[in-house]
Amino acid sequence: MAPVPDPNNVSGGAKRDEATVKVPSKDPKKKDDKKEEDLSEEDLQLKQNLELYVERVQDPNPELQKAALESMRQEIRASTSSMTSVPKPLKFLRPHYGTLKEFHKNMAESDLKKMLADILSVLALTMSAEGERESLGYRLTGSEGDIGSWGHEYVRNLAGEIAEEYTMRQGEESSIEDLMDLVQQIVAFHMKHNAETEAVDLLMDVEDLDLLLEHVDRTNFRRTCNYLTSAAKYLPGPDDMLVLDIAYMIYIKFEEYPNALQIALFLDNMQYVKQVFTSCTDLLRKKQFCYMISRHGITFELDPEMVADDVDREMLQDIVNNTKLSEGYLTLARDIEVMEAKTPEDIYKAHLLDGRASSAPSTDSARHNLAATFVNAFVNAGFGQDKLMTVPSDSTSGSAGNWLFKNKEHGKTSAAASLGMILLWDVDSGLAQLDKYFHSNDNPIIAGALLGVGIVNCGIKNDCDPALALLGEYIEKEDPSVRIGAIMGLGIAYAGSQNDQIRSSLSPILNDAKAPLDVIAFAALSLGMIYVGSCNEEVAQSIIFALMDRSEAELGEAITRFLPLGLGLLYLGKQESVEATAEVSKTFNEKIRKYCDMTLLSCAYAGTGNVLKVQDLLAQCGEHLEKGDIHQGPAVLGLAMVAMSEELGLDMEIRSLERVLQYGEQNIRRAVPLALGLLCISNPKVNVMDTLSRLSHDTDSEVAMAAIISLGLIGAGTNNARIAGMLRNLSSYYYKDPSLLFCVRIAQGLVHMGKGLLSLSPFHSERLLLSPTALAGIVTLLHACLDMKSIILGKYHYVLYFLVLAMQPRMMLTVDENLKPISVPVRVGQAVDVVGQAGRPKTITGFQTHSTPVLLAAGERAELATDKYIPLSPILEGFIILKENPDYREE
Amino acid sequence: MLTVSVKWQKKVFEGIEIDVTLPPYVFKAQLYDLTGVPPERQKIMVKGGLLKDDADWSAIGVKDGQKLMMMGTADEIVKAPEKAIVFAEDLPEEEQATNLGYSAGLVNLGNTCYMNSTVQCLKSVPELKAALSNYSLAGRSNDVDQTSHMLTVATRELFSDLDKSVNAVSPSQFWMVLRKKYPQFSQLQNGMHMQQDAEECWTQLLYTLSQSLKAPTSSEDSDAVKALFGVNLRSRLHCQESGEESSETESVYSLKCHISHEVNHLHEGLKHGLKGELEKTSPALGRSALYLKESLIDSLPRYLTVQFVRFFWKRETNQKAKILRKVDYPLELDIYDLCSEDLRKKLEAPRQKLRDEEGKKLGLQTSAKSSAKDSDVKMTDAEASSHGSGESSTVTPQEGASSEKETHMTGIYDLVSVLTHKGRSADSGHYVAWVKQESGKWIQYDDDHPSLQREEDITKLSGGGDWHMAYIIMYKARFVSM
Repeated sequence: MAPVPDPNNVSGGAKRDEATVKVPSKDPKKKDDKKEEDLSEEDLQLKQNLELYVERVQDPNPELQKAALESMRQEIRASTSSMTSVPKPLKFLRPHYGTLKEFHKNMAESDLKKMLADILSVLALTMSAEGERESLGYRLTGSEGDIGSWGHEYVRNLAGEIAEEYTMRQGEESSIEDLMDLVQQIVAFHMKHNAETEAVDLLMDVEDLDLLLEHVDRTNFRRTCNYLTSAAKYLPGPDDMLVLDIAYMIYIKFEEYPNALQIALFLDNMQYVKQVFTSCTDLLRKKQFCYMISRHGITFELDPEMVADDVDREMLQDIVNNTKLSEGYLTLARDIEVMEAKTPEDIYKAHLLDGRASSAPSTDSARHNLAATFVNAFVNAGFGQDKLMTVPSDSTSGSAGNWLFKNKEHGKTSAAASLGMILLWDVDSGLAQLDKYFHSNDNPIIAGALLGVGIVNCGIKNDCDPALALLGEYIEKEDPSVRIGAIMGLGIAYAGSQNDQIRSSLSPILNDAKAPLDVIAFAALSLGMIYVGSCNEEVAQSIIFALMDRSEAELGEAITRFLPLGLGLLYLGKQESVEATAEVSKTFNEKIRKYCDMTLLSCAYAGTGNVLKVQDLLAQCGEHLEKGDIHQGPAVLGLAMVAMSEELGLDMEIRSLERVLQYGEQNIRRAVPLALGLLCISNPKVNVMDTLSRLSHDTDSEVAMAAIISLGLIGAGTNNARIAGMLRNLSSYYYKDPSLLFCVRIAQGLVHMGKGLLSLSPFHSERLLLSPTALAGIVTLLHACLDMKSIILGKYHYVLYFLVLAMQPRMMLTVDENLKPISVPVRVGQAVDVVGQAGRPKTITGFQTHSTPVLLAAGERAELATDKYIPLSPILEGFIILKENPDYREE
Repeated sequence: MLTVSVKWQKKVFEGIEIDVTLPPYVFKAQLYDLTGVPPERQKIMVKGGLLKDDADWSAIGVKDGQKLMMMGTADEIVKAPEKAIVFAEDLPEEEQATNLGYSAGLVNLGNTCYMNSTVQCLKSVPELKAALSNYSLAGRSNDVDQTSHMLTVATRELFSDLDKSVNAVSPSQFWMVLRKKYPQFSQLQNGMHMQQDAEECWTQLLYTLSQSLKAPTSSEDSDAVKALFGVNLRSRLHCQESGEESSETESVYSLKCHISHEVNHLHEGLKHGLKGELEKTSPALGRSALYLKESLIDSLPRYLTVQFVRFFWKRETNQKAKILRKVDYPLELDIYDLCSEDLRKKLEAPRQKLRDEEGKKLGLQTSAKSSAKDSDVKMTDAEASSHGSGESSTVTPQEGASSEKETHMTGIYDLVSVLTHKGRSADSGHYVAWVKQESGKWIQYDDDHPSLQREEDITKLSGGGDWHMAYIIMYKARFVSM
């Protein structure tokens, strides 16, 4: 009906401003004339009243003026509550805006002038041209009365103008005090009226989030913090840390410690973590904190300040040290009834393939058996029993007892180490079973035993440090394979621990001129893992020197890539801290310089979603290189590493990788499947699955191999039937190509990893936290996959075991106050993003009710389906302690 | 005196006393009593290191009440198996070949796929291979000319090369000899050797082999090739004009499947092929007259070869044109009704036996199924017996002549190899051999590229499109022992 575009039908501040530009008083008069005839009686009355007020305002009599202004205010206030159309008074006053403005200018300073300013400020809401900020201007000269009385729309508009004014004044470096007063008012208003998101937006614009602390209360802090944490993902530079800082403080203020801890872990701020412990007095809740820390996979030492009682502290430390992980995992396995060990043949399911599958060969193929070793290890990981390695060895008649010897040379290393994988997290039995290999006189077997000890201890800490005690003395042995076994074992067992004792024994190897290249490479890698994300100067120095000492020929070796990778891991997720080292890397030999550069960049910004870095890396991929340069591989992986942190960036990255795939050169195409594998790890998205399936038949065998491994990665631990079917068909398609078949087997093992109970995703706690050690493990494997032929298909296949760093049960296990598992009903469904949503929306959709323990797939969330218990953490993942609800009544 | 607790596997030994004045070896001996792990196998972990036998307790800094961890078992130490395991990767090439379950392909020497596929099909006859391996210079009879001899030797060599090799074999020697013997295969076109008719190659090769493999005694019966492939036909000639009738016998190496509009199935084609008209001087009429010839099979070969007469000389285009019509062929062929009366009588008993056996197999299985719930043992028995009878019904060829007395032809044949042609004329296109292995798997030999195929895909080669279509197929007789 109204010919004037309705400025109020848009809610966003920016858009509204645009709308108001179109309205300026060019032709409204003409239109108003026309409209007059359409007006209803009431409206006509209102219009005439208002016109009268406008006239009276200009009356010299202050009494009359005041009465007119008050009436006008009354009319406006009465109408601005509605949001659906332009309030009528505003509409009718529009032609008089100019007159009133003019009059206001000439008025003497008085209360009346202020009153008029107030009214003008409101009128400017629809009248003022863009960039003039008249509304704000009049507001500042006005009476400073209650801001909310003019309605939401007015406040919102004002907030927008404040942000603009603020940036301008920042530029001019003029005072902002008057603005801040207004901000105070607005924030208070917003926070009271369920508009936390807008309050946060305004405060972010004026860079004063601290104000928030005064205004949050019990009713709105959760929504506020929710918005803050999710906004942090999209903020640049130091701002995101600031925002999270505020969120942390709010959570602490309202004693929402689990969330506070989550943010503390995200910020990697141990001081904050400690503060959580010291602020909380409830021992049971502290236990829950310990579970959260243990899932994150960092090394954390409790001190008496955090937990006063010695016995309690020891118990809590046990939880942090993950000593109960194996028990919980087995509880889950028993509940789901998957304890029965599976053989590789159960996974291959060759009987489902008609005809084409060649019958089992009469003689043992080393390649085939090695694949079976890995499949067996991955599938039975952590279950403590299998059908190849743990069967009693005295059964000399059966071939099973001697499975170890069905592997050839370095294959025996992987076979012996697979025992560690099968007994994963169960240090006591693991060490006991691995012991027999230590007394072997076959070097590859000893190497495997050492590696196995490392794997068993992965993520588990123990006061006696059995891994260090056992492996320490083997580092200096003569045989390179034994040394690598020990070094890699230490790297896996102590990833993220920043253990000085190990550093002092590993660093000398890096600069030992006599040490073989592969030993040096693995030492650098292990140091990178142990000091992951620590920015440790000394380790960095050692690796840099080691890189500088390498000869031209050595730099060309495939295994050398672990040196820059080790360096990169030191700065994993640490952003700018890498810059000094990145400068130094520019002086390296040109053969490795760019590779190093890309690795450092991608590691440092891993999981940050930094768009600028994504662009940098994309630019690198756009170049067409001469043959021999290998740095584009890590650049492509870097794209995935940087973008993997949040869903939107992830989807964008998947699309842009599709382009890269089409236009990139062969060395880029080889890395793209791996990047896709990283982006969707343990999260089999159908579109990615299809792309990888297509690439798995690529004419370039390296692209095909990478795609096959990636199929395994995206399906890792999901038992996804579609991927399993694809891989089965690939196994018959490639039955004649031993290399590709090996890759297919490994992928099959990955898909059925832990019989579907495990996940490789480094993200946890509702995808907020990124476990640095898990990411380090995956990235290492992917870098190794960049040169599949020389590393995984060569004699370093045991790098596949680095995946153990990322392996975690994808479970939710509820325990009672004595940490004994209890079964309660829970609803499990697809998680819904509820950030900034009005009211109390459902957080999951399409849910099903199960009883715990349950498995959680990627993107799923659980909630308790009973009021009988209260979970001690709002994030229902991993171990959750339940407390009885005192208010619960049996129905 | 210190008191510590020691954790070993899942057990914790509390309150073990250490006499710090004695070396740790004594402590280990204490643990030996508790755990049964000999001291030299014990690994005791004290904060970041292992406890050495001769270490000084004070230097280690063990505190009272500390928890120590011990690793070690009295388990047997793993030993490598006495007999080293042999890996396929280490085997010499020829042994790797046996692992694949099928032999190598043949390199195409330039339009030689007709020859390659013929060789692959013939190679699948173990009896022929055996006969060839017995062939030696000494066995050469005088009436075999030099080139035939050379071709026979070349065939023998080629077969054995194929069995040994993993990688494709180049049949250059064989090809040279073949061209020498049959110069028509040397035809050139644009400087290249021309594609040839595989059937011609097949016939010529078999002919040569039959000549040279005749035993020195040179009696009819000892002709190995004839014994394997020869079909004796008894024909009845009937002249409608004069009403004369005569009969004659002949021996052929393959049956023809004539393809006309009425023929949809191999059986119809074969019947068609056994009937014919020919012009012949009639003694009664004293001039040539039209005779009707009807043939019936008088004796059955071990291997029945059927040629689909797909090519005919098209005068208009001056080339061998191809009939694309789809003619189905079964995996199991019964030619009982193509046999002569005498032969049918001979076949009666073995066929009855075969039917009985099959009936028994089915019957037993059904009864086993019904009683499966009652006793599992019975079912396994039944399965075993039916399995056994199944085996006895097909006699393995290796048994050869000695067992022939007990085994009898049944007139039923199983498909063992198919030679297909793809393309529109005999002198162009591509020939491929599809051969059933002893393991029961089908292998497609596309020159140097053998690949596994499914059985149902084999029957899809029956023509009617531009896909590979059967040109020559070979069946193997099913025997029954009596």
